[in-house]
Amino acid sequence: MAKEKMNFFDRMQALDRRYIYLVVALAIILPLLIPFNSKTYVTEPVENLYKKIDSFAGHKDRAILMCFSHDASTMAELFPMEVAILRHCFQRKVQVFTICFMPAAKPLMDYALQTAKEDYTVQSGEDYVNFGYKPWGIFLPIVLGMGDDVAKAVETDDEGRIVSNLDIMKEIKNYNEMNLIIDFAASGAVGTWITYARSIYGANVAAGVTAVMAADNFPYLQTGQLIGMLAGLKGAAEYEKLVDVFATYKNADGTVGREFSKEILKDSWVKLSDIKNPVYKTARIGMNAQTVAHVMIIVFIALGNLGFFINKRKNKAN
Amino acid sequence: MKRQIPLLIVIILGFVFVVHTFVPHKISADFYDWYQTWMKAISPFMVLLGIMSLFMVNWAKIQRHVPNWQYSIVTLLSLIITGAVGFIWGTQEGTPFMWIFKNVQMPMGATMFSLLAFYIASAAYKAFRARSLEATVLLIAAVIVMLGQVPIGMAISKWIPDASNWILNVPNLAAKRGIALGVGLGMTATSLKILLGIERTYLGGGE
Repeated sequence: MAKEKMNFFDRMQALDRRYIYLVVALAIILPLLIPFNSKTYVTEPVENLYKKIDSFAGHKDRAILMCFSHDASTMAELFPMEVAILRHCFQRKVQVFTICFMPAAKPLMDYALQTAKEDYTVQSGEDYVNFGYKPWGIFLPIVLGMGDDVAKAVETDDEGRIVSNLDIMKEIKNYNEMNLIIDFAASGAVGTWITYARSIYGANVAAGVTAVMAADNFPYLQTGQLIGMLAGLKGAAEYEKLVDVFATYKNADGTVGREFSKEILKDSWVKLSDIKNPVYKTARIGMNAQTVAHVMIIVFIALGNLGFFINKRKNKAN
Repeated sequence: MKRQIPLLIVIILGFVFVVHTFVPHKISADFYDWYQTWMKAISPFMVLLGIMSLFMVNWAKIQRHVPNWQYSIVTLLSLIITGAVGFIWGTQEGTPFMWIFKNVQMPMGATMFSLLAFYIASAAYKAFRARSLEATVLLIAAVIVMLGQVPIGMAISKWIPDASNWILNVPNLAAKRGIALGVGLGMTATSLKILLGIERTYLGGGE
């Protein structure tokens, strides 16, 4: 029996998936190698988190806690937001604590601190403290314990120093002072902070999550249990832009930093080529790749459906 | 006795903590402080148990030459080498531990997660079809959300990010809340069953 000749759409329907993989690889790699400028639109949850952190600037009786709850697999999305927030804190003199309860998150936490502090003269114990890795088994005692006394709950920092003896702790007692917790996760870990730190002690909680986990956290955002959220690479890109436009803005008088303003943000345009340190624009370069990849997937869906409907019509006609 | 004692510990401590939550008395608070100290002392042993379990499972695989037993050697060697360099030279920047993390774990982790992009693209092309009304709604929602999440969406039209936000904030939220309520009720029911000794599967099988 003679084999029926395949038309273009038949061939497209039966396309070897390796060609799809090749197109996806090119769609992701090329924008990373050749970055282009695209406008980053800042959303409200990101803006709210930025404003909250910025409100702590220069206050010795305020601090934020960054909890690293992910491993290297989700680093592409979460690491840029961690670095951007740390830069914001170091630039605006916001006191920062870091902690993790996953062994795999510990090197990431160290790496983020190391990366962010390269351009700043910050001192461990004075401007920030790395509480280090604490076993998951004591997550709850620490979360609840910090409601009474942060130093007593964590006891020692990553360098083995007694936390209560550190300068930074002079005006920091519990969640009343360490009033913002940001959990970076690729899981539902944020919910635990909301359940205990938020519900019992009224601490402000925010999240930095992978894009796939963002949908899970929208209920908390709507109720105000999360004061802000960075969702995936997009959230990281938005935060990077806020840091560039406000926190690291060079004023005419030589000072650095300015207050957040919606008007300024609306008209702001940051060219990637103007940012010298590649680490400070990682998320925005990544967003180029993500844009092309999303468009690519939409084109794939459209082509797949077009072929499906043409074949369906042809089969009906036969 | 092997089952009765753990069962009694769970039931007694379970009720004690329920009482602690609802009775803010000094005795209750003191008990909780005492418990926290014990937890801090006990929990590092969980890590030890985990390492022992990993060793036993993989060692047994190597000895029995089960299919793919070679991977167990890689697992154990990775554990020993990473642990050893961490203990000897520390885990700070510039140490061999950090070198392993940056040059082995980071790229491998990223590779695993990035495979998702290829599978999604392939699945979108091969299987995401508007075969029914429900599938069509899902497809349209997916396209809007995908465009709404990247700058090009805003560049095409302002309504795309707005529509994307509406999808996430209304239908998505309704579904998530429904699921969360179901999970919450399920957890409460399961907790009660454990507290009352009805649910005992966590004790494991056999005598």
